Amino acid sequence: MRPQVLAASRVPGLGDRLAGPAFLVCALLSASVAIVLLAVIGVETARFFSQVSPLEFFARTRWAPLAETPNFGVLPLFAATAQVAVGALCIAAPLGLLMALYIAQYAGETVARGLNAIMGGLAGVPTVILGYLALNLVTPALRSLWAGVEAFNALSACIAVAAMLLPTVVVLSRDALARVPVPLMEAGLALGAPRGRVVLRVQLPAAGAGMAAAVLMALARAVGETMIVTLAAGNQAQLGWSPLEGLRTLTAYIAQASLGDTATGTLQYGSFFAVSAVLVAVSWGLRGLAGLVVARASGWRRP
Amino acid sequence: MNRSASGRSPVLVAEDLSVSFAGKVALEGVSLAIPRGCLTALIGPEGGGKSTLLRSFNRLNELTPGAVTAGIVRLNGVDIHQGGVDAATVRRKVGMVFPEATLFPRSIFDNVAFGLRASGQVEELHNRIEEALTTVGLWSGIADTLDARALSLAPGDRQRLCFARTLALRPEVLLLDEPTTALDSAATARIESLVHGLKGDYTIVLATSGRRQAARLSELTAYLEGGELVEHGPTETIFTNPRDARTESYLTGRFR
Repeated sequence: MRPQVLAASRVPGLGDRLAGPAFLVCALLSASVAIVLLAVIGVETARFFSQVSPLEFFARTRWAPLAETPNFGVLPLFAATAQVAVGALCIAAPLGLLMALYIAQYAGETVARGLNAIMGGLAGVPTVILGYLALNLVTPALRSLWAGVEAFNALSACIAVAAMLLPTVVVLSRDALARVPVPLMEAGLALGAPRGRVVLRVQLPAAGAGMAAAVLMALARAVGETMIVTLAAGNQAQLGWSPLEGLRTLTAYIAQASLGDTATGTLQYGSFFAVSAVLVAVSWGLRGLAGLVVARASGWRRP
Repeated sequence: MNRSASGRSPVLVAEDLSVSFAGKVALEGVSLAIPRGCLTALIGPEGGGKSTLLRSFNRLNELTPGAVTAGIVRLNGVDIHQGGVDAATVRRKVGMVFPEATLFPRSIFDNVAFGLRASGQVEELHNRIEEALTTVGLWSGIADTLDARALSLAPGDRQRLCFARTLALRPEVLLLDEPTTALDSAATARIESLVHGLKGDYTIVLATSGRRQAARLSELTAYLEGGELVEHGPTETIFTNPRDARTESYLTGRFR
């Protein structure tokens, strides 16, 4: 009986023999997309830097690719991206973390379910709509508060991006809080500690890495966000820190460069790839950091 | 009957205690007195109600959503569910050790100090911590590394640290919920000898699925099955001459 089964398994059917190669082709196709993408960005970026010195690119503070003597100082774009991303995070992170804590600890079942549904709904809103609302709802409201607010401004972009980030922060940190073992919380309460103290001293530290990762993931999303900032903050490459003025982020420049009729092979065409390389590097860096934080907390703690 | 059997006044008393979780009955009409200074073992099959009864004594069941408790639990004669009785105060007097080491992701010192700090007993913090760690036999080994992460300890030592954390509050009663299930035999033996050493100084209630552990450590044994207290009495009587057929079949391993 048993040898027969073993014998049968030694001669696989046609399907079994084809499965391996077929899946390999699928895997290679997916991988090749990423590889081709990186290769194109890499080659074009290298060509760009053969014409423009990296020193000028990373150290100069003026971005004017279409000027008589073009300037390719990426800092204004980089600073604008950082300004919007960090600004949005300053709103979304505290709000999201507190909301996650409320859902995980204090909200009743019905309220928690309602809030989760609202976060799911917000996550499903296309960013172009958030950008539109930022431009036509948030900005007029801001302008009625402060006269100095420009039609395109960073603040309204920050607010709309924060709305986009909120579900990411809430869902990821809520899950991190929920993963803290119930017995750990019970042990704190069994030692006669009040609930608030157990939340603060036991649950939050235990979920800390997951919550930090949630914020980093949100930051990575904010860095890559294009539509909201292009619509709400305009496209002016200037190095300034006023949130009331317009600015141009890395992504907004790429979006604008892709829309225009930039001739292949020109310096401006090359700059598009150099900016892309910076964007990809920052985004990957943040995601990698988030992964590292989680891995460190979950895997490396125990010797 | 139990009182006469032990001849000592009870610290904890359950009177007609019933507990259900979201309508599912976990404990039904249990009346039991836990005499002072004794080790009472709660034995029985999984789901029989050992843990639920244990968690009734420090009001831990109420943390579970959908839990409903009926009946009375008295600690030194006072109904612990009546208005004006603070759950945190009850829990400081009635300490608990959990099945798996539930150390906080903090230092060894912070773990033992947790309960003391939470109740504002910080004047003699170091002395109290040294005392608790000495009692569980950890002090000599880790006196110099109190700032090390608690989770860096070996599993058996982690559980002993959980004992120290509870003992630091100088409770009257110790509730031990399957304290050795997650441990190997060597670590189990050390925990058992620790529990043996604590007998007399504390009133101990031990919920265990280890029949031999109950026989080795306890003076009194209560057998629970299906949420009912089937019988209770001196451990020797329960193990050698059980009155109920259900107890006998569980103890002889013929259970289901």
